[in-house]
Amino acid sequence: MPPSDTKVAGKGLGSLPDDDDRGVPSVESVMQPDAFTMFSRRVIGHRSFMVAAIIMITLIIVALFAPVLAPHDPLGQDLDRRLMPPVWNEAGSWTHPLGTDMMGRDYLSRLIYGARVSLIIGFSAMMISGVLGTVMGVCAGYFGGKVDMVITFLLTTRLTLPVIMVALALVAVVGGSLNTVILVLGFLLWDRFTVVMRSATMQIRNLDYIRAANAIGCSTRRIIFSEIMPNVLGSLLVIATFEIAHSILLEAALSFLGLGVQPPTPSWGLMVSEGKDYMLFDPYLVMLPGFAIFLLVLAINLLGDGARDILAPENRN
Amino acid sequence: MKIKHLAIPAAMAAALALSTPPAEAGKSDDTLTWISNSEPDNIDIYYNTLREGLILGRHIWDALMEIDPKTGEFQPSLAKSYKWIDDKTIEFDLREDIVFHNGEKFDADDVVFTLNYLADPNNKVKALSRTKFIAGGEKVSQYKVRAKLKYPFPAAMQYFASVIVIYPNEYYAKAGPKGMATKPVGTGPYKVTEVTYGKRFVLEKNENYMKGGPKTPSIGKLVFRRIEERGTQMAELLSGGADWIWRVPPDLAQRLDGRKGFQVTQGETMRIGFLILGASGKAGDHPMTNLKVRRAINYALDRDKIRKTLMGEASRIIHAACFPTQFGCIDDNVKRYEYNPEKAKALLKEAGFEKGFEAEFVAYRDRPIAEAIIGQLRRVGITAKMTYLKAGAYRELRRKKGVEIAFGTWGSSSINDITAIAGNWFQGSSDDNAQDKTVIDLLNQGNTTDQEVRKKVYAQAFERIADQAYWAPLFSWVYNYAYVDELDFTPSADEIPRFWAAKWK
Amino acid sequence: MLNFMTKRLFVAALVAFTVSVIAFSLLRLSGDLATMIAGEDASAQDIEIIREQYGLNKPYHLQYLDWLGDGVQGDLGESMFYPEEVTALIKDRLPNTLTLAGLGVLFAMGLAIPMGVIAALRPDSWVDRTALTIAVLGQALPGFWFALMLMFVFGLFLRWLPISGNETLAHFILPAISLGYYSTPAVMRLTRTGMLEVLNSDYIRTAHAKGLPTFVILFKHALRNAIIPVVALSSVQFGNMLGGSVVTETVFQIQGIGHLAWESISRNDFPVVQAVLLLVACFYIVLVLLGDLLNAWLDPRLRVT
Repeated sequence: MPPSDTKVAGKGLGSLPDDDDRGVPSVESVMQPDAFTMFSRRVIGHRSFMVAAIIMITLIIVALFAPVLAPHDPLGQDLDRRLMPPVWNEAGSWTHPLGTDMMGRDYLSRLIYGARVSLIIGFSAMMISGVLGTVMGVCAGYFGGKVDMVITFLLTTRLTLPVIMVALALVAVVGGSLNTVILVLGFLLWDRFTVVMRSATMQIRNLDYIRAANAIGCSTRRIIFSEIMPNVLGSLLVIATFEIAHSILLEAALSFLGLGVQPPTPSWGLMVSEGKDYMLFDPYLVMLPGFAIFLLVLAINLLGDGARDILAPENRN
Repeated sequence: MKIKHLAIPAAMAAALALSTPPAEAGKSDDTLTWISNSEPDNIDIYYNTLREGLILGRHIWDALMEIDPKTGEFQPSLAKSYKWIDDKTIEFDLREDIVFHNGEKFDADDVVFTLNYLADPNNKVKALSRTKFIAGGEKVSQYKVRAKLKYPFPAAMQYFASVIVIYPNEYYAKAGPKGMATKPVGTGPYKVTEVTYGKRFVLEKNENYMKGGPKTPSIGKLVFRRIEERGTQMAELLSGGADWIWRVPPDLAQRLDGRKGFQVTQGETMRIGFLILGASGKAGDHPMTNLKVRRAINYALDRDKIRKTLMGEASRIIHAACFPTQFGCIDDNVKRYEYNPEKAKALLKEAGFEKGFEAEFVAYRDRPIAEAIIGQLRRVGITAKMTYLKAGAYRELRRKKGVEIAFGTWGSSSINDITAIAGNWFQGSSDDNAQDKTVIDLLNQGNTTDQEVRKKVYAQAFERIADQAYWAPLFSWVYNYAYVDELDFTPSADEIPRFWAAKWK
Repeated sequence: MLNFMTKRLFVAALVAFTVSVIAFSLLRLSGDLATMIAGEDASAQDIEIIREQYGLNKPYHLQYLDWLGDGVQGDLGESMFYPEEVTALIKDRLPNTLTLAGLGVLFAMGLAIPMGVIAALRPDSWVDRTALTIAVLGQALPGFWFALMLMFVFGLFLRWLPISGNETLAHFILPAISLGYYSTPAVMRLTRTGMLEVLNSDYIRTAHAKGLPTFVILFKHALRNAIIPVVALSSVQFGNMLGGSVVTETVFQIQGIGHLAWESISRNDFPVVQAVLLLVACFYIVLVLLGDLLNAWLDPRLRVT
């Protein structure tokens, strides 16, 4: 077990936000409970984290079981039943609980499948940028010197480019689709991973025990995987959640501008864009998908915030 | 830092104080604000290919003659009369009392200059599709001029009576294309007082417009603004920021129609929609090369339903591959394909596609209609996979590689003659998906000034096109115009709103 | 110090050069320009004529060198669509974006700094919680959706403010709020953290002990120290807003460079897109460079790296 873990757990107790609520007596800290008990207690005690986790799990289930949950085909159009209002409206009906869009497609079904699109894009883009950014960050931090110089230069250049403009231009060049958006975002959003991994690697590399491992002839790869990675996993996880949220918001914006996922794919951003012409008369077309994006991103951000508190409570504030 | 804290609310308050009612608009100050979704990149009519540019241009400049939008007859404008000298020469008698907005006198020199300017490739005129037939101009006397054509072009007068407008030669020599793009000068019913690209154009009534001319203006000031979002356009109209918008989707138009203070008018345009079926097999050996399949597609489309729900009541179903009012658009003996999915399925079975097939489907505009068509094709077993492209990429793909099914629309540049549509789509150009020798030959025979011959050969050409089902013609495009009800406005089929003819009630 | 500055400047120049190459190659990869210029109803023949007239058949590397050579002299070419030089076009549009981003930053700071200060003064109070909630919600709001909602409520429903356009300063209020709101959380968190740190520091305690009024301590000593990183962050946020204003400008129809970039991208107007990308990147480079130099000047330890 890496030494820092116990350090974190022990030191963190005092500054926990919900200390009083849980009424954890100081006796326990004296008795040094094992790290896992401490960890799970912190998770359960963290209210916003729990709420976010419930929302997130619900949305993931909705996305996974979309074909079972959706009452209609999200692409099936019915020109005779266009722009039907949701059920709470006088003219609404339970056949289409959230109404239909301008092509007569069931809005609830489209929203359900939209969760899929957002989550797929969020996770896939994060995976690409995560791998890319981590590899670059670790290389820069570990090898230093020229490697670091080149990677830092790439990082500076990337930070200089306005993400949304470059993404728009790239999607315009390649042609909008789910895959294009994932790739473009994946190849644009690696910066935070690189920054964090680079400094973390640098710090750890200079620790005595890593130097020792190096000295006794451990291979570079082994040091990176067995010593460095476990130490930065926490920070990685936190960045990963923020990048998922970031990708989801960017996809929505790109699709809204017409240069993202293409119709008839049910993407929430695209749905807002298709509905905005009708905003004055049928506001639900814009409200519902917009709120869905908001809810998902909020949950992910709260998860990230919570994870940060739980993994490294001494960093709070 | 204290000061800064106070400064922020102060700045906000100041900003609010500066707030004026959203734009000047309406009858009270005699200003008509019209909003459209694109802005011409260059206000000079020959250097843009956009509809809005054409509209502004028709208000700023005059053509030699004018077409009456109701009767389709030629009316005198800059010229009192015209006559064909031979099939490549037209002579115009000019009015002698006309001045440009800057006071310059109008005469034959202006006409000759403009025609020669358009014919010279070095001038990089962008609106080539409207000007390419012009070979130049010849001065006969100070008020008599001859236009020379590159080839016999029977529809030429349609152009001379609408889009071939006349420049002031002296001003142009001084100001050049840059000057014309920023301070345009013409003879038209409105003169330009402000050109701010990306913001607005302001036009004011030309008090010296030719006496008794066909475009005598009434409203004092026209302001053009561009907003590409339809929702925003609608919001501006409802909140008083605009007086006139168009191309309103039918659902929105319907919802607006009931509102007090606003009026919605539907107007048919010369634009027609159609499916281009890859009959010549340019895109490879696919089912579209089979006549039975092409006919099946024609039977599979419920044009009436799409027309009513997504286009509007004023739209009409098209049978021949042209717009009904165009000269030569004769559909009396053209084969009509009614909506009959059973017949479509039977034909597909005969062709050996009992289980249906997959086809590529390319589109570039009017996405909902494209999606509705795909939905209907699915019902007879044809799985159409849509690729939605920008206009340019769409055209390039069609021309270079060919496509199986393409969804197309064509506005004929508002030219009321079938050469403006069949000449592009069926006379052997790279836009011609059929490459049918018989059709090409018939259309070539129509390049004569003998109107009877033209009618006869065109009728035969359209019969052949429909029988071979090279296209699946759909219906005419309809625009919904929405405006404040103090405005008296009449739409016309050529997609040119005539604001000079509009009045306050 | 001089050595440090030269090094930074050199890196900045190198980054700018790389961005210029990226900007150039990115847009040349897209579709056929001649087809786009020719317009919707043009025939194949028309397009060929236009291709020759505009000289679009030169090899790419020559086109880049031409562009760079002219660009260094301040000539970024002519727009393929507007009858204007790219520089003139940008000069027209840039003030709108600067106004928007400026007001956006002002809004973000005006909202975030007081909230951050109050939150730091009363940690875990309802003020702190509200501030945190606003921050968290703000980060999750999709910008375009928020903009539409603002337009709907304040423009159409209440009719307090104009809906679209950029004619008066009032036209900028809603867009500035929708753009600035997204930066609020970051600025607020930083203010709060900074204030907490300073308030807990020894010299503030000493000030208290000396009996100085709380008001003076708060503004003269605490905020002054906490504000430096906030200002630095705000300048970076300003840079981000220049690039990120695309959505806001599009929704509110503000004719700024973001909107210009978007419409130029959708119609392949290479010269304009390249110029805007380069411009936004250069703004960012300069802002970061200034931040670096400022920090280095304040904190000599940083000059080593």
